[in-house]
Amino acid sequence: MSARTPLRMLVVDDEPAIRRFLKTSLTAQGHQVIEVEDGEPALEAMRRSPADVVILDLGLPGLDGFEVIRRLREKGSTVPIIVLSSRTDERGKVEALDLGADDYLTKPFGVDELHARVRAALRHRLQQQGERPIFRSGDLTVDLVRRLVSVRGEEVRLSPREYDILRLLVAHAGKVLTHRFILKEVWGGETDVQYLRVYIRSLRQKIEADPERPRHILTETGVGYRLRAPDWDAVATQSGS
Amino acid sequence: MNEAIQIPREDRSSSGETAPATPLHALMAAVGASFVWRQEAGWKAYAGTTVMVLLTLGLGLALRQYLGSLNIALVFLTAVLGSAIAYGLWPSLFASLVSVFAYNFFFLPPLYTTTIADPQNVIAMASFVIVAVIVSNLTSRVRSQAIAARQRAQETEQLYLFSRKLSAAVTLDDLLWATAYQIALMLKVRVVLLLGRGGEPVLSASYPPEARLPEADLAAARWCWSNNRPAGRDCEAHPEASRLFLPMHTGRGVVAVIGLAADRPGALLSADQRRLLEALSDQTALAIERVHLARDVDRARLVAETDRLRTALLTSISHDLRTPLASILGSATSLKTQPEALDEAAKREMISTIQEEAERLNRFIGNLLDMTRLESGAIVPRSSMADLSEIVGSALERASRILEQHRIAVRLPPDLPMLRLDVVLFEQVLFNLLDNAAKYTPAGSVIDLQARQANGAVELRIIDEGEGIPAADLERIFDKFYRVHAADRRRVGTGLGLAICRGFVEAMGGHIEAGNRADGPGAVFTLTLPVPREGPPIAEAAP
Repeated sequence: MSARTPLRMLVVDDEPAIRRFLKTSLTAQGHQVIEVEDGEPALEAMRRSPADVVILDLGLPGLDGFEVIRRLREKGSTVPIIVLSSRTDERGKVEALDLGADDYLTKPFGVDELHARVRAALRHRLQQQGERPIFRSGDLTVDLVRRLVSVRGEEVRLSPREYDILRLLVAHAGKVLTHRFILKEVWGGETDVQYLRVYIRSLRQKIEADPERPRHILTETGVGYRLRAPDWDAVATQSGS
Repeated sequence: MNEAIQIPREDRSSSGETAPATPLHALMAAVGASFVWRQEAGWKAYAGTTVMVLLTLGLGLALRQYLGSLNIALVFLTAVLGSAIAYGLWPSLFASLVSVFAYNFFFLPPLYTTTIADPQNVIAMASFVIVAVIVSNLTSRVRSQAIAARQRAQETEQLYLFSRKLSAAVTLDDLLWATAYQIALMLKVRVVLLLGRGGEPVLSASYPPEARLPEADLAAARWCWSNNRPAGRDCEAHPEASRLFLPMHTGRGVVAVIGLAADRPGALLSADQRRLLEALSDQTALAIERVHLARDVDRARLVAETDRLRTALLTSISHDLRTPLASILGSATSLKTQPEALDEAAKREMISTIQEEAERLNRFIGNLLDMTRLESGAIVPRSSMADLSEIVGSALERASRILEQHRIAVRLPPDLPMLRLDVVLFEQVLFNLLDNAAKYTPAGSVIDLQARQANGAVELRIIDEGEGIPAADLERIFDKFYRVHAADRRRVGTGLGLAICRGFVEAMGGHIEAGNRADGPGAVFTLTLPVPREGPPIAEAAP
């Protein structure tokens, strides 16, 4: 899928090879790419002319990625931020997401995942402007106006809390949601993550054809959950890392 | 002679079981045991002796009308004999003297005078004295032999127990403490033990405990250490020290220095005690050397093991890193230099190779990282209440490309309890096990994941349809860099995956085991995870 409207992408990474790969791939999608190699120049570039999407490495030599997110959000910027992190750094991912990053990619990653993350982040911005009343993904349909959920055409009865979780996931379809975010939005405060796991389990038993191998509600181990977006069918999820 | 050695109560009873050498020794021991057992009891012995003589006097007076005055002498001999048994030579000679006087005074006419009228009685008196002295002598000699025998038996017993204690001591600390305690107990002295560290004797154990030694004592200990001769109190070298320092040595030289002190005046050790000390310190020296040798052997083994692992690691890394890199580099250069010579299918093939090999490389590096984190102790499980079926799902998702050629069957009961796990680590464990199963089983075969709850734990089994694991390898399969070698070819693997599994599972308080299927060929990996008590059952929390 190529972008219909060209977007300005800000790539922040200190590794020239990563920047080259991202630039090549994103330019091929029709985007305009601005490269910087550290946090300060990234903030400077955003001041001069805000980008549509920021792809940000967390481990920068000078001003690190966390600080860049914090400062951008402090200034009220709502630009979608996708962070790049390493495999063993689940806490870093969660921290970046809690600071206001939209999604993350674990290095090494494939370019298809990158495009899927960019799409999901942008979709969410668009959706906020006008939420689509009916969500369809594979065999799952969620009617947000009539609060109806059906799988393969058959209505599924969800408890109010299960519905709240699903609606939250639908509103952010394709985007990762941290445990803390879901708990805050649905329970409205600090609740133990085990309750969320119990609800996700029962939700999966109702909407997944095979709850052990979910196709809709995906687990981001150690981070949170992600609802598979409708246009994800061609997208391979991250494997083998 | 100094105060007798006091034996703790439990040891006394055990040494009482040792068979006395002769019936007379037995008698001595039996009689002796009923008295306060002192070799030299001072005024109490004489007082006791006086009481015995007075008793025999009373008996004699009572029996006077039935026995002749000559026979009464025999009654007095029992007092001499008793005193000799109970108190030894001098009290019994005292008994003889008092008995002679009493016998003369009360029984030989003229009565109540010290004069002897009848010459026949003079002879009787004289023979009484001779007999009494001989009885005193003989009896007390037997007595001291009995005491000596008893002491030796006790010492032997103590030495035997001590040597058992020493051979049971695993660490040097245990050993030194046992030694200090034993010597302090047996010799009634204060003991310090110094071991050589960095060429200097250093205070290593003491009984009763001492924090440090005065400088004079340290100097004496150092002198003793370097000259292999006694120093300090009662010695020519460093007599100003408060302790006597003696070297403990084996054939290889001085291994330790022992320092002794006591608050009592006079010589610190009797000849007997010195002999005992030598026996104790010889045993200790040998035991210390044994511990040192064992430690040296361990250290040498560790060095050898480390070298072997390093070699294995280098071999493994160079092979496992280079193989995928060779494929990637080969494919990439082909695509770059001769794109016109390749048709579309060939290009796609090469691009897939680059992707798959890069993913393999990434897994390998991940494993190396995990292993390093495990070995450096950087793995601290961040456990939370987790849903096993969810982790199984995410592991299957992550492994989906590796498992493309296999069929997966998941059978998890719906009522599995929540488990206390680090979800990230546990997903890695499952991923490694799935990766392992995919590697060692033919395409198209089934990999089965089953769980059940039993005995307060959840058991998760990963069952495959491969060749299984040779019985000899079942134990070693979780060792680092260990690979099961198939008869035909070398499997591609790092030899780290299962070692990481074990490390992670154990860090989370679980257990992992390898086995073979009973119903045909195939391996079974069983993960056992305790069911936490604090978590609410799913039924309660569920909507």
